[in-house]
Amino acid sequence: MTKITRTLEYIWIVLIMLTIFAYSLGYFKYISTPLVAVLLITTFLKGQLVIDYFMDLKKVRLKYRLIPILWLTIVLSLIAVAYYLPID
Amino acid sequence: MSKSISLKEAYPPGDLAIWVIIYVEFITFALLFLGYAFSRRLDVELFNASQLAVNQTSGFVNTIILITSSYFVVKAVHSIKNMTADTLQESNKEASKWLLFAILCGLAFVTIKIIEFSHIFGMGINLSTNRFFMFYIMLTVFHFLHVILGSGILFLIYKKTKINGYLPNDSKGIETGASYWHMVDLLWIVLFPLVYIIR
Repeated sequence: MTKITRTLEYIWIVLIMLTIFAYSLGYFKYISTPLVAVLLITTFLKGQLVIDYFMDLKKVRLKYRLIPILWLTIVLSLIAVAYYLPID
Repeated sequence: MSKSISLKEAYPPGDLAIWVIIYVEFITFALLFLGYAFSRRLDVELFNASQLAVNQTSGFVNTIILITSSYFVVKAVHSIKNMTADTLQESNKEASKWLLFAILCGLAFVTIKIIEFSHIFGMGINLSTNRFFMFYIMLTVFHFLHVILGSGILFLIYKKTKINGYLPNDSKGIETGASYWHMVDLLWIVLFPLVYIIR
């Protein structure tokens, strides 16, 4: 097994584990205000792994890698703002 | 004085046109995601109550399926990229195997989604039921259509591998399809916690 194949397997396992974590929060009704931030951070990690290793943008010029990373950062940050901003 | 040499590739994998499409999809889905998130603020109780009708388990299983299919597509791309003149048949055969697994995952996703939709629509829910279901239907049906299109693209690539259509140093076509499929995966990775989990 080559190094890159092993890395991809690890990435897949991490993605599956983070998905199980997210589902567990919802299924067991553990989701609470602070945990939403944790959930959004793990979602960012999952997205980052897909961008870098599945889309294979890690070895491409930064500007092309930055576009989806910025998209993910802005979207998840604004979701956090919508969730945490006090409602009048 | 030594000059630093960039080892980074100049362009992302696949045809540059697919990346323009991907960026447009990012903007479209971002608007829908944020529309959902900020509309939720207007009536949190309604969103939380309506969300109970949505099956978290099918969302979870579909996330696992899409991530796994993306992994299979990466394996297929690697088979083609690592091809030499001597391994042309082997590499195409291996890529077709991984693509078939990915297509089956796509079909599994579609099947689960159809069951979920039939349950939701069977309850008489539609776009005008309330704001939660308007966003839920728009987001998930729009994404569902992308999965169908992505599966179709993977099938075309699969057919090409079956006739040993990919040659050494000819991975652009498969990379183009793969990039689209990974985008579909990435969008679902954001959609799943937003619509199914966060309350």
